[in-house]
Amino acid sequence: MQISDEAILKAVERYSAVRGQGTVANLLAFGRVLKETGVRVSLSQVMDASRSLEFVDIARRADFHAVLRSNLVSDKEELPLFERVFDCFWHEHGPEESPMESVEMAPSSSEEKREDSVGAGGSLEEMVAQASSQEAKLSEETERIPVPTYSPHEALNKKDFSDMGIEESRAISRAILLIATKIATQVSRRKKRATKGNEIDPRWTMRKNVKYGGEIIQLVSRKRRIKKTRVVLLCDVSGSMDCYSRFLIQFMYGLQNELWGVETFVFSTSLSRITHLIRTKDIGSALERISHSVLGWSGGTNIGRSLYTFNREFASSLVTHRTVIVIISDGWDRGDVALLEREMRSLKRRCHKIIWLNPLLASENYEPLCKGMQAALPYLDLFLSVHNLNSLITLGRTLQKLVA
Amino acid sequence: MNPKKLTIEEIQEALRKQQYICDRSLATVVYLSIIMGKPVLLEGEAGVGKTEIAKVLAEIMATKLIRLQCYEGLDANTALYEWNYPKQMLRIKLEEVSRGDRAAVETEIFTEEYLVKRPLLEAIQSDGSTPPVLLIDEIDRADMEFEAFLLEVLSDFQITIPEIGTIRAKLRPYVFLTSNRTREIHDALKRRCLYHWIDYPAFEKEYEIVMTKFPQVQDHLAKQICAFMQRVRQMNFYKRPGVAETLDWASALITLNRQELDEKTLEETMGCIFKYREDLHHLREELGGNRLDLNQMLKESPELPA
Repeated sequence: MQISDEAILKAVERYSAVRGQGTVANLLAFGRVLKETGVRVSLSQVMDASRSLEFVDIARRADFHAVLRSNLVSDKEELPLFERVFDCFWHEHGPEESPMESVEMAPSSSEEKREDSVGAGGSLEEMVAQASSQEAKLSEETERIPVPTYSPHEALNKKDFSDMGIEESRAISRAILLIATKIATQVSRRKKRATKGNEIDPRWTMRKNVKYGGEIIQLVSRKRRIKKTRVVLLCDVSGSMDCYSRFLIQFMYGLQNELWGVETFVFSTSLSRITHLIRTKDIGSALERISHSVLGWSGGTNIGRSLYTFNREFASSLVTHRTVIVIISDGWDRGDVALLEREMRSLKRRCHKIIWLNPLLASENYEPLCKGMQAALPYLDLFLSVHNLNSLITLGRTLQKLVA
Repeated sequence: MNPKKLTIEEIQEALRKQQYICDRSLATVVYLSIIMGKPVLLEGEAGVGKTEIAKVLAEIMATKLIRLQCYEGLDANTALYEWNYPKQMLRIKLEEVSRGDRAAVETEIFTEEYLVKRPLLEAIQSDGSTPPVLLIDEIDRADMEFEAFLLEVLSDFQITIPEIGTIRAKLRPYVFLTSNRTREIHDALKRRCLYHWIDYPAFEKEYEIVMTKFPQVQDHLAKQICAFMQRVRQMNFYKRPGVAETLDWASALITLNRQELDEKTLEETMGCIFKYREDLHHLREELGGNRLDLNQMLKESPELPA
């Protein structure tokens, strides 16, 4: 998401109180600003950066810049943002002027400082603790950075799910089970030992036969291992998806309970995680809980922003190269298409497969014409139809062919 | 040369002497990694010199370059160590004939003599006066399990072999990781590294690279080559050419004894720059449509300081 200059400036100003208290405090503040504007920075990186600064002449702005950049940024995509925040944060001190004044070394002599950095504990840790308590104060006082958004209206409707037929739901569950197992298995290139494999494992054959004095009596073979996949389900619950909502709930519920490690999210104009709400065997109460706690059900759609939130807040902990992302949406997006595209790209790089299930795909003359859908298309591994029980069964069969 | 006493300028100069032209920020990163013992993660398009810097650094330090090329399915056995089974087997068979002490044999066949060292173990065990340069190439090709394993090795620089014990690095190797960004590297690994993105060189830098590598090249031709490369990198090709391609091409033109770049020469040698049929086709179209004017390009290129 494009952060405006004002937002950066505001974030910088917010930490002005912490500044002028030595290098570490300044760096911590800088790290916080980076984090708030969307660069992923960890505390350990900030501390490494502060250690690195001891080895270069910080009066040279280019070196100072290079040190911070190499320590604090770890992704090319974040470089432009870093540059902007850097310029803004260390702005008061023009390129000719030395940044020394702001980066003023702690009053202690440099020798003392060196001692700290080798791990004597002391002031670096104290500084960290101090700065974070100051931060806590600050964040209480000020609101979060307003993120520029497009949001027509977030309708806060509650859905009535009470009339779900039991037979229908059983049939759907069975179909989902089939799909779930297909999505969740992939053949790994890594091998595991097996009694019946297609290859001899010399290492373990040797091991096993040492007890016979090196005579090969038992053969150990190996075969391709089946990987367990994680599934993240992103469900569109905006107004245009209304007529499918019963089915969606079934799908989410079914997948969550058939598979281990499924994370479920719903989105319309914003994203909410509902994994904990449907982790139960009782679908009736699950539905009730969701409809109570999810805001913006049947509202407008902003897929880009929802993906942005997902990528920022959840992807790093939930998405690995084994994760299959399943997005169920009709692709009618009213948000920023460029953003949607960027977020799809970054998601694609992180995960194993992206499967998009589109209920509209079922109608024969449907073409993915709306801009949002078009932007997302290049990043999809599978683009399939899903709208009723029959399509689910077909989906199961298709997946069997495609994923195998 | 004591690596810890090097300055940024000296590193940049030493790299230049080895014909590796880099800007100050990369030299700073290399300097920091030497001083702080942190690995460097280099990312950039193909052919911008990610692998090269590790090789050159090994030469500067007069130390060994240990390279681990990653691929999908790479596992600890191929990266770390493996027991030499045939040798162990042979030993057992021999002992059978001479009726040796069984217990002694069992311990003996699990000693270093029967160990096949793979790159990571080699890097850790190396005992020269200067630490080796460990290049872990294209880490994005290996899978996540390997990354996790690597994280462990890179944080402690020690390896435990159950039969022998723990081997600790006497000297921390200089570690360089490269990635082509085909997938995201895990945050935990990234955080441990100094990050540097190597971009395509600007016109001046590329010109300097060409002139350093091929001092015999005509000044005019070198400028033409660089101006052309700068231009095509802004165009829409499937695979944009890197510095490696520039150098290949320059070398080809020198071998062919060309003094000047014209359309015919370009047509003959464009296989050095583009490796895909579609790209070659696209280039021909551009040339045919006169959208690529070689003379114009040279005029537009920035003035070089004399």
